[in-house]
Amino acid sequence: MRRIWAVAINTIKQALRIKVAVVFTIILFVLLPVLGITTTGDETLKGRLQTFVSYALSLMSFLLCILTIIVSIYSVTSDIDQRQIYTVITKPIRRFQFIIGKLLGVITLDVILLVLFSAIIYTITIYMPKFIKASEYELIEANNEFYTARASLTVPEVDVTHEVADKYTELKQRGELPANVPREEIIAQLTQQAQLAKRAAGVGQPLLWEFENVEPLADSMFIRFKYDVSVNPPDSQVWGRWLAGDYQFFKYGTQSKTPIYDEVIKHSVRDAHEIKIPAEVVPEHGHLAIAFMNVPLNSVAIIFPPDGLEVLYKADSFSNNFIRAVLLILFRLIFLACLGVLAATFLSFPVAILFCFVIFFTASFSGFVLESFTFLSRDIGAVYSYSLKWLIQLLPQFDKFNPTKLLVPARLISWSLLAQCAVFMVCIKAFLVLILSLIIFSYREIAKITV
Amino acid sequence: MEYAIETFSLTKIFSDWWGRTKVYAVDNLDLQVRPNEVYGLLGPNGSGKTTTLKMLLGLLYPTKGKALLLGGDGSDPKINCRIGFLPEESYLYRYLNARETLDFYGRLFGLPPKVRKMRIEALLDMVGLKAVANRAVGTFSKGMARRIGLAQALINDPDLLILDEPTTGLDPIGTRQIKDLVLKLAERGKTILLCSHLLADVEDVCDRIAIMYGGKIQTQGHVRELLQQTNKRQITTDAISDTAVEKIRRIVSDENAECQITSPMDKLETFFIRTVTAAQQQAQPTSGAVSTTKIGDFLTQHEEVESILDKLVSAPVSKQASGDIPATEKVAAAESAGPKADEQLLSKLTSSVEPSESKAAAREEKIKTEPVESPTERQEKVRDDILDKLTGGSGALGRDKDKTEQPQAGDSGDA
Repeated sequence: MRRIWAVAINTIKQALRIKVAVVFTIILFVLLPVLGITTTGDETLKGRLQTFVSYALSLMSFLLCILTIIVSIYSVTSDIDQRQIYTVITKPIRRFQFIIGKLLGVITLDVILLVLFSAIIYTITIYMPKFIKASEYELIEANNEFYTARASLTVPEVDVTHEVADKYTELKQRGELPANVPREEIIAQLTQQAQLAKRAAGVGQPLLWEFENVEPLADSMFIRFKYDVSVNPPDSQVWGRWLAGDYQFFKYGTQSKTPIYDEVIKHSVRDAHEIKIPAEVVPEHGHLAIAFMNVPLNSVAIIFPPDGLEVLYKADSFSNNFIRAVLLILFRLIFLACLGVLAATFLSFPVAILFCFVIFFTASFSGFVLESFTFLSRDIGAVYSYSLKWLIQLLPQFDKFNPTKLLVPARLISWSLLAQCAVFMVCIKAFLVLILSLIIFSYREIAKITV
Repeated sequence: MEYAIETFSLTKIFSDWWGRTKVYAVDNLDLQVRPNEVYGLLGPNGSGKTTTLKMLLGLLYPTKGKALLLGGDGSDPKINCRIGFLPEESYLYRYLNARETLDFYGRLFGLPPKVRKMRIEALLDMVGLKAVANRAVGTFSKGMARRIGLAQALINDPDLLILDEPTTGLDPIGTRQIKDLVLKLAERGKTILLCSHLLADVEDVCDRIAIMYGGKIQTQGHVRELLQQTNKRQITTDAISDTAVEKIRRIVSDENAECQITSPMDKLETFFIRTVTAAQQQAQPTSGAVSTTKIGDFLTQHEEVESILDKLVSAPVSKQASGDIPATEKVAAAESAGPKADEQLLSKLTSSVEPSESKAAAREEKIKTEPVESPTERQEKVRDDILDKLTGGSGALGRDKDKTEQPQAGDSGDA
């Protein structure tokens, strides 16, 4: 362990003294406060905070990723190219210890820089209200919608397979099926219609959503929604009656021990809105129902899009959420450090850099990449699912575990998400990469061919 | 363990990308180096010397055959603990300073902090880089980098020292120092494999040599046996009168042999060292390495003594070292009179626990302990000692008995 640590310390010294880490540090030191001053967002406190955190966290994450790739690759390739490794590897240190030492050095450097810059970002975020002298109203809004970690409950798409099958049979019997249209297409159309019907409320009709295991921490919770209309009203606004409370009250009409929220409010269409409701409406068993009634004041049908409604409630503090966000970034850096070392064990510096950047950017859009591959390889399904699919699955999914995406709308980064990221990105993928690099490095010839 | 280094038909073939054989870098090499031997591997450029070393140390994998170092594999950490290696060029971390460099290598050996610190100071002193120990190695000249390279090879007090072109880039004093060091280490029972094409260096220190060409050993044997001209004799005397010379001529002609009588020339090396040492004693400033021709204590002492020494010396080591040569630091050394009393006690302690020490080592010790007296007196004594050792001393330092009986090949055998 002492030997591994000696290599690690040397790696950190190298990163600092060849000034690559210093340059990145200075850039961040300058940019983060500048961002804090210049970002205005939509001029509200919440908008400022969201814009700042979004930019600052992304910038830090991006720069540290680049730094990790460069340092991890350079520290190994320079040793091989400039042959310092001749004197190192002939000392009583095993090759795997050398690699692990390099890795440990890079990760330690990452942890130090990450803690430093996260602290800066956190401090600026916390002191922002004082700095811009925010009004009371803005502060409340920021506390409710930014300085918090809200869990989100959504409703899954209703399963309409049976319904559609019945409808299809019925149409067929009546001979009303359009000619020259394949069955799949008709089914797809019918499914779409059926699902739309489940999300639409005609004038005077209600919609009901159920949520289980709701455990709000704070006094209030939020319904976040977005709806559309069949015909646009003149002011683009429609009325809605919102009810929230014990599920059994809505379903069976039984007397509820907890109060029922009941308000009629006007909202603009096609924008996301949040309604604040008191947390006391949640019954003890946690089974909450939310109902929406298209009041007769409107003369149009109201349609909720597939992700049109969710319930948000405070589940943790902003600080804890921020720490978990930083940990997500750290996992990403650990993977990249392993990847850099792997590339350096068998590639020269420029090629290794290129290799890692390709992986890094692909991983940053992994969702898109996965979808496109699945879509494009429909015709070669068997080949794809047995070869390329596995390789692509090995890509880490940086976008899936993107902390900014969650921290900006104050969504809870749950421990389970964090654990999932740790298991997939670090324990499995980074570990595999590390093992591969150890194998390659243990068996390759260190010295150059010189005759 | 019969041999310190042994190879069995060691072969290295360099192939091109398609796997076609391009070059036989080393071809069925059977090398045997006995323990406590100074073995020289000679050969022109590209004859496979360095490739052989790289295979010994596991930096390259042999295409065929096997190599044993100290009875084990050259990439086994247990074996590496006992090996010192100086590659053909000093490949150092440019951003570390000299002290940090040695500290890093010391840590790789897992040396405890006290021992590490003691050895680093001793080695810096020995290679004459104490004054520039806090400068980045990247700013060093080639010779200075070479000295650090040598120091890192010695930090673990190795049993087997592998030196690849150790004297390239070194000034004559450094070269001489390395040769002295090699002799000293051999005297202590170490094995040294020396790889070079500077023939004079090899000739001065090696017991046995092998000459490689095209990856094969062309010839090998004892230096003396290979080089001695059995059909000639050489007599060296003090300055004698012309009549005596005439008498000798007559005796020789009676034997029906021819004879040349001249005054022997000083070797340029000896002359150079004498001049530079004199300049050093006058404390002329230099930005380069300050060669002292001193050899690190821990390298010249015996094992059991060393561990005690390590403990005793570890605390006041920097003070003790400052009492030594670097001429520019003399004022500081004279000022610190207080701690010297302790040093005196210390030196008594250290000298009393080494009854089995060789004469040469004892002499080294003397140099170290004498600074207790007044600075001027010390200076004189040090100079005497160094001069003595530099000019005539190497003969007395000869490592085996039959060698000291003969005149040193390097000093006078090249008439």
